[in-house]
Amino acid sequence: MTSRLIFRVLIALVAFTVLARIPVGFDVGFKFDAGLAVIWAFALLSLVLLTGYVGQISLCQATFAGVGAYAAGMMSATFHVDYIVAVAVGVAAAFALGVIVGLPALRLHGITLAIVTLGIALVFDRYVFQDHAFEWLTGGTGGWRVGQASMFGLQMDSSKHLMGAYVVLLALFCLVALLLVNLHDSGAGRRFRAIRDSELAAATMGVNLTRYKLLAFGMSAAIAGMGGAFYPLVAGSVSPQPFWLFTSLQFAAIAVLMGVRYVPAAALGGAFMAFVPDVLTRYGHGTLFGRQYEISYDWFQIAVGVLLIVQLITLPDGVWGDLRHRVLNARSAAGALRGRKVEVA
Amino acid sequence: MLRVRDVTVRFGGIVALDGVSLDLNRGEILGLIGPNGAGKTTLFNCISGVIAPDKGTIFFEGHSLVYAPPHVRARFGIARTFQNLQLWGSMTVAENLVVPMDALGRRNTFSDALHLPFSSYAERASMERARAILHVLDLDRYAGTLAGDLPAGIQRRVEIARALAMRPRLLLLDEPAAGLDAQETARLAELLHAVRERFHVSMLLVDHDMSLVMRVCDYVYVLDFGKLLARGQPAAIRTDPKVIAAYLGEESKKLEGEVATVVPTRPQHAPLLEVKQLAAGYGGLEVIRDVSLEVRPGEVVACIGANGAGKTTTLRAISGMIHPRRGRVMFGGRDVTGTSAERIAQLGLIHIPEGRGLFPNLSVEDTLRLVSNTAGHDVNITPAFELFPKLRQRRRQLVGTLSGGEQQMVALGRAILSEPRLVMIDEMSQGLAPTVVRQLFDIIRVFREQGIAVLLVEQFVESALDVADRAYVFEHGSIRLSGPAVELRADRKLVAGSYLGTAVDATAVAAANGNGHHVDPALMEIVSVRVPAKVKRALEQRAEVEGRPTGAVAIELLEKVDHQ
Amino acid sequence: MAAFAAYTIIGLSLGGIFSLAALGIVLIYRTTGVLNFAHGAMGMFSTFIAWQVFYGWSHPFWPGWLSTLLAIIAGLLFAAAMGLFLEFAVFRWVRTREPVVKAVITIGVLLALQSAASLIWKNNQYHLPIYLAPQTATFTIADVPIGANNVVIIIAALILAFGLGAFLRYTTFGRAMRAVSDSPTSASLWGVPVGRVGAVSWMLGSLVAAVAGILITPFINFDTTSLTLLIIDALAAALIGGLVSLPLTVLGGFILGLLETYPTIWIQSLGFPRLVALLVILAVLVVRNPRGFAVAAK
Repeated sequence: MTSRLIFRVLIALVAFTVLARIPVGFDVGFKFDAGLAVIWAFALLSLVLLTGYVGQISLCQATFAGVGAYAAGMMSATFHVDYIVAVAVGVAAAFALGVIVGLPALRLHGITLAIVTLGIALVFDRYVFQDHAFEWLTGGTGGWRVGQASMFGLQMDSSKHLMGAYVVLLALFCLVALLLVNLHDSGAGRRFRAIRDSELAAATMGVNLTRYKLLAFGMSAAIAGMGGAFYPLVAGSVSPQPFWLFTSLQFAAIAVLMGVRYVPAAALGGAFMAFVPDVLTRYGHGTLFGRQYEISYDWFQIAVGVLLIVQLITLPDGVWGDLRHRVLNARSAAGALRGRKVEVA
Repeated sequence: MLRVRDVTVRFGGIVALDGVSLDLNRGEILGLIGPNGAGKTTLFNCISGVIAPDKGTIFFEGHSLVYAPPHVRARFGIARTFQNLQLWGSMTVAENLVVPMDALGRRNTFSDALHLPFSSYAERASMERARAILHVLDLDRYAGTLAGDLPAGIQRRVEIARALAMRPRLLLLDEPAAGLDAQETARLAELLHAVRERFHVSMLLVDHDMSLVMRVCDYVYVLDFGKLLARGQPAAIRTDPKVIAAYLGEESKKLEGEVATVVPTRPQHAPLLEVKQLAAGYGGLEVIRDVSLEVRPGEVVACIGANGAGKTTTLRAISGMIHPRRGRVMFGGRDVTGTSAERIAQLGLIHIPEGRGLFPNLSVEDTLRLVSNTAGHDVNITPAFELFPKLRQRRRQLVGTLSGGEQQMVALGRAILSEPRLVMIDEMSQGLAPTVVRQLFDIIRVFREQGIAVLLVEQFVESALDVADRAYVFEHGSIRLSGPAVELRADRKLVAGSYLGTAVDATAVAAANGNGHHVDPALMEIVSVRVPAKVKRALEQRAEVEGRPTGAVAIELLEKVDHQ
Repeated sequence: MAAFAAYTIIGLSLGGIFSLAALGIVLIYRTTGVLNFAHGAMGMFSTFIAWQVFYGWSHPFWPGWLSTLLAIIAGLLFAAAMGLFLEFAVFRWVRTREPVVKAVITIGVLLALQSAASLIWKNNQYHLPIYLAPQTATFTIADVPIGANNVVIIIAALILAFGLGAFLRYTTFGRAMRAVSDSPTSASLWGVPVGRVGAVSWMLGSLVAAVAGILITPFINFDTTSLTLLIIDALAAALIGGLVSLPLTVLGGFILGLLETYPTIWIQSLGFPRLVALLVILAVLVVRNPRGFAVAAK
């Protein structure tokens, strides 16, 4: 048992050190992408928990991230607190919203739950994030501007000290990812998975559905909110656009594409979402056969849509899931010879 | 231990349960039987917490169960298994067992995520207990297998093991014998007895399989139309005329060896349906291996054999519901292997699947008129009403609201209207009262009169052989025997060996009665009495006879004991 | 009081749009098991095609009514083709999968359509003056101008709804559609051409979505996202009908339209109507929940 834990901690540390060094030496735009990648990865991680582990569908994860972002932005811009406090408030706010959203989930499943979360995403996108009534949270039409901030004395902002924010984000991500992977095999994780596999049996066998579902929604929202809370820092300001309905839909699409049950898939997805469109827009233009072409963000989204369709028709477990199966099959053939139970992170 | 009083449940306009009362005593294995639609599943669901009764009370060891959600009932000590197997497929068998233990213990999500010492310790303890339970049920070798990968029979045992992991006091078993053949059912009966001995649980069993119920239960309640029809010891119930009439029907007569009129064999025609070395299955499982059979025009052919032998899969592979993996299917001279189900139906090969394959939200009339879609022209539906006058009154009624027997009539009516060449019927009698089944078998004769061939999969072996010209006996995915029906009927051992459905097993070993508890005189109370169930039943019977409350009789007896 | 009447008519015409959109959703859902989140996007795309024909490709010498007619025909033809395409290219292969999976596929369709539209027509605001009644035909109730077109929408929605209902109830193909919507496996065993039924459903659904889009566009400045997002309101109306009953869906659409319009008398907020839609969804789902434990996820 503990050897597995040590193994995972080691992987997390190695991943952190490697990834932390990557953006050094690149320009601000790239560093911004890196920061964004981790923020999106948080949102995808939240889906791994909520949909992958507990089997609850949600189309409003960007909303949770947005609430985290706005709350943190508000705290920082209005009260000028140490950014760690702003993040904490963001996470708490997202958690609270998550629990509230979880309430309908107690009675709804599958498609109807998807519809409700879609509605919530839209309401927040069009109404809460844009209306006068909520200016205390959103900072009005301009949103919050977060110039400089500090956390544990480390200077962070969206231009010269972007690396600071990125490193902290990455560290937190690795920690949360580690916790989630551990959670999977733990007692609580089993209870979550029991809810996913058969809610009826779980309830009958003593699992308190209310408690665990609300907890799942809350935790999931908190994770998305944690990432979102860093957005004002990385981007310099908050606006509704990054957290609108289509982002939530993209999260769902990419989580499924990558494999919604697997933590590493979240990291992969985050990078995919942040880097690919930017790379495409930067380098994807020129002339082909004498005609000007330009690959814009729209092309990226079309590709995501089409890929999702193709993938659901053919590979239900996502890219990572498929890879994992291949690896597992190869290993179990070997492992069976040695008579051991095979496990992979 | 369990007291159910005057429970009434209504679904819309239908009264599923009407003032039903039931008692279960500690240490008993109680059986709940009744024809389909009698309300036993509803009652079962009320006790296990899936639905709430409109009226009435349910008490378990003094706790009222009416407002308790399922996980609270679990804490009280009620566990259940599910007819359609609700295992957690993505987890191993051991993990499946550990979850109920954790859930009822005091486990904390955060300490779990961090693998704090408390959690690790509790984990190990739970795993130990899980292995112990698996050992008792002879499931050790499956401990590390994913529950979703196991065959159905093993999954059932795992479900029971999981329920036991909860340390329940009462175990509710929902049709545990569904899908098991005679041998497996016998093993299940032994298992249940062993479980009661080792784990000191009382049980409530709902099932169609009379042989299991007779073998295992100490006491039986019979429901019919939502009301309590009879209750008593299994032997008494078996011979109670009311019960026989409602449930067993005229089946018992058949067992006396009555021989129906012999049907003359048909002249040799070219086969209408030819199946050669068919193999098919689901996912990684191959259910039928090498099935070859044929049906000639106008013949009635029966397929019999134990559950799981592959009869249904064969029909599905023929009709196009699933794709055959190997082999060929020829219908009317054409090769239809792998053709779509729609096309095959249009060619005149009709399949009435298990469950009848009807449309719940279409009216009877609309359903029958659907035949026009396939035929390509308007079809007169009156002949169906002439055959089944009962349906005429119900023509506007939605098919989903009809009884099982009426639904079967609709399915057969449609079959007649589409003027097929061959009709395949899968388990026509499933869940129907024997009186209705009788009528339906007569319809098969009508088919033959009209020159329509019939391929019949049936669990009522006697009735099937009665109406068929020939029969095939399936075993483990291929055909073991075939021959004229008359010959097969004469082979008594065969008939007894195959799955007899609701017929009573005459050679059943008497259930090992008695409970696992001793009388504890120091704690005896009149109201919740810890005496052997048999004694309590005897007191009740005597009280009924004398027209006095049971408590009074008990007090009287105790006083007599006191004075001696 | 008269203002109330004025708002009622506006609300009903908005509701007419919702009803039409919801009808398409319920039709497709009942016969193919796909809850089409991309419905609004599909309507949007067809509407843009109509716009393109109207402005981009029509001749200045043609009479106005010809441009209008051509635009509408183009939009509808495209809608039908798109519906057929989706059935054959995508949904035919996933007939046996769970509803949730199919719904997530429609999210993919939504994203693709959305971006494709954005690529072609950019993010500008558009106006499509396709009027079925003369624009000048207005009447006023309490100083609130009501166009005859508002009434036209209400009538069109009702006609289409009843037409569809009659088609399903009384025609042979309609019966086949109902059979498939009840149980696709049984239907194929009965020889009902499930594939053909599915294709027709998608076509009809897409057509109805296009009609909804074309009818609403004279009244708003629309862009690629606004019509896509109508999906929430359409879903709310569909849920009022329980995803099953067409008459209730139509009724639900009208009710939702009213519920979204009345508050604008007091609250001037662009986003508030969306909140109304969400509350309606929640209310309907909570009320409709089956008694006891919800067995088997949808």
